[in-house]
Amino acid sequence: MVQLLDLGNVELTLVSDKEKRLKFCINDHMDILIEILQRLDGRSLGAAACVCRQWRHIARSDWLWEHLCFRHISPRTMAGVRPVVAAMGGYRRLYMLCLRPVLSRLGRTRGLGGGDPEVVRRVWTQHLVELSLSLFCVDYYERLGNGGGSGGWVGDASASSLMFLCKPVNV
Amino acid sequence: MKRDRDRDKAESSSMAATAAEKGKMWTAEQADVGGMDELLAVLGYKVKASDMLEVAQKLEQLEMVMEDDGISHLSSDTVHYNPSDLSGWVQSMLSELNGTGFDIGPAESTIIDDSLLVPSDNNSSIVSSSIDFTPSQSQQSQIYEDNSEYDLSAIPGGAICKQNEPSAENGNKRRKTVGNRSGEAASAEVSGGPTAARPVVLVDSQETGVRLVHTLMACAEAVQQGNLKLADALVKHIGLLAVSQAGAMRKVATYFAEALARKIYKIYPQESNDTSYSDLLEMHFYETCPYLKFAHFTANQAILEAFAGATRVHVIDFSLKQGMQWPALMQALALRPGGPPALRLTGIGPPQPDNTDALQQVGWKLAQLAETIGVEFEFRGFVANSLADLDAAILDIRPSAAEAVAVNSVFELHRLLARPGAIDKVLASIKAMRPKIVTVVEQEANHNGSGLVDRFHEALHYYSTMFDSLESSGLTQVSNQDLVMSEVYLGRQICNVVACEGTDRVERHETLSQWRTRMGSAGFDPAHLGSNAFKQASMLLALFAGGDGYRVEENDGCLMLGWHTRPLIATSAWQLAATAS
Repeated sequence: MVQLLDLGNVELTLVSDKEKRLKFCINDHMDILIEILQRLDGRSLGAAACVCRQWRHIARSDWLWEHLCFRHISPRTMAGVRPVVAAMGGYRRLYMLCLRPVLSRLGRTRGLGGGDPEVVRRVWTQHLVELSLSLFCVDYYERLGNGGGSGGWVGDASASSLMFLCKPVNV
Repeated sequence: MKRDRDRDKAESSSMAATAAEKGKMWTAEQADVGGMDELLAVLGYKVKASDMLEVAQKLEQLEMVMEDDGISHLSSDTVHYNPSDLSGWVQSMLSELNGTGFDIGPAESTIIDDSLLVPSDNNSSIVSSSIDFTPSQSQQSQIYEDNSEYDLSAIPGGAICKQNEPSAENGNKRRKTVGNRSGEAASAEVSGGPTAARPVVLVDSQETGVRLVHTLMACAEAVQQGNLKLADALVKHIGLLAVSQAGAMRKVATYFAEALARKIYKIYPQESNDTSYSDLLEMHFYETCPYLKFAHFTANQAILEAFAGATRVHVIDFSLKQGMQWPALMQALALRPGGPPALRLTGIGPPQPDNTDALQQVGWKLAQLAETIGVEFEFRGFVANSLADLDAAILDIRPSAAEAVAVNSVFELHRLLARPGAIDKVLASIKAMRPKIVTVVEQEANHNGSGLVDRFHEALHYYSTMFDSLESSGLTQVSNQDLVMSEVYLGRQICNVVACEGTDRVERHETLSQWRTRMGSAGFDPAHLGSNAFKQASMLLALFAGGDGYRVEENDGCLMLGWHTRPLIATSAWQLAATAS
């Protein structure tokens, strides 16, 4: 008998713990959400944008993607980039169109040998970002010529100078 | 660079043997009539299955004739002939065959007679191309006595290629794997047969690649010697051989054959004023392969470094076209530490046939981009038929204390070599512009020789390598249409190099060393492209599919992009010689 009572007490305790846990909703704590999202990689960030409207709104903010793009580069060298990139379509587009394919292809082929790995990576990444920015600019220029600077995200099949980079998946 | 050997099936079945074996094999394969038809079709012959028996019998007869006449050595000897000396070889063959001093040198009466080529009887199969050697009529009956039609036709050029031909032969077949030759031998019989009985050739398709190159060279030589009839026959032969190849080699051979045919028949391509088509082709070429991107990026890097510290800059582009080079430079200038300079761009282009101002449209697009990224920008366009028509005064050059000037020429300077004196005039006017840097990108090849054969030889190597690189990058990423357009773009260059002469021939490529000499004597000093350019170029190339094949090389301060071991384009930068005032 006593044991039954005890069990009953335990159950009650369990239930109230659960309630306490349920009361914490990540959507109520945007700052924590942002902290988490800014540590994700591109793919996960894209997936996060599919969760719900609120997450989508946050995950699509260009600031997060800028952070993703330049995570490893000293901010000093990248001053003044923001207005340029923003005008050409934003960091998310830069990442999707140029940076991600460039990173994935070069990551496969290049080993990071010799010297301080962190420094080497930073140097490589800087060249890489410069290259990506150039390619991004060329793409923007091509889209200009195809009638309308504010091209749709999906619909610009005619801008093809980055064809050699593009993969069919779009987030 | 493996060649496609999907005709191994054909080879293994019957084709690769001497005449004697062939006869036996053909009779053996009579039963497999359906298969034989397809196999021969692959080689470019169309033979009705029901006629196989007849053809096999003819072969046996041929063999008997050859043995009787004691000329079986023709099929089994491994005597080395100079394959490009086609006329000499054929002459010796025929004189042996007919026992006369029959001369088929450059004389008129020799080789081809088109009227004989079309079978005039009830055969429904079509002969794709054929060449007949027709000695005088009296000789005909010596060889054959029956008059039945053959479906296959003679390809005497096939006999050029010997069994076991090592690659010491010549450098022509640099891309043919001449590996396992021992088991396979090509043989061909040539006889000055009568119109009715055509000699038969069975071709080992592994060797057709080699034969193709030899025939191309032989044709070029025939054209150079003025032996147009021989050249005509060979061109048709090339067409036949090219069909049996796969991939890049076929395309290259087709373009070169077309160029040779134009030269023979004197149907020269009109230098069309429609630049929109050329621009379209060039855009596809830009997208498909990295050559133009490499050119733009390396030139931009040199210009960027030369402009370090300048607050006003002026770039003169000798061929603006779509202006694809300048967005990247503008972006780099916008993001340089210290902020962007004021950029002035002068674009030069050819006159448009429909009077639209293409230059202004491009300029307007560039201005839009400049406004977006916050670079002060000014554009001016100049229409000129030739660069020699311009001089520094027209271009409104401001004093160099106020403005740094860069002159950029991507694949434009070689066109000036068509007119005597033009290049010197242009180089002098460049000097008058007092540029901080001159960037020159040119093809790394010598296509400016006066002799057709040398030019042809060089161009064959160069464009084969180019097409090879297109082929391997096209496999993974690029759509077929892009690839085809890029090939047409290159095909037009091929046509110009081979078929045109005089002022029409504008694709007068020269090697980097030749340009170095020229620029040096005009008063320019080389400016070394830095390691940044090299790194960026390497990274760019790594992005392209087939990126393993592309190589960036540094050549004494200049950068060269090549495919495997062959450099194809070269970027160089120049500044005014220190002693110039």
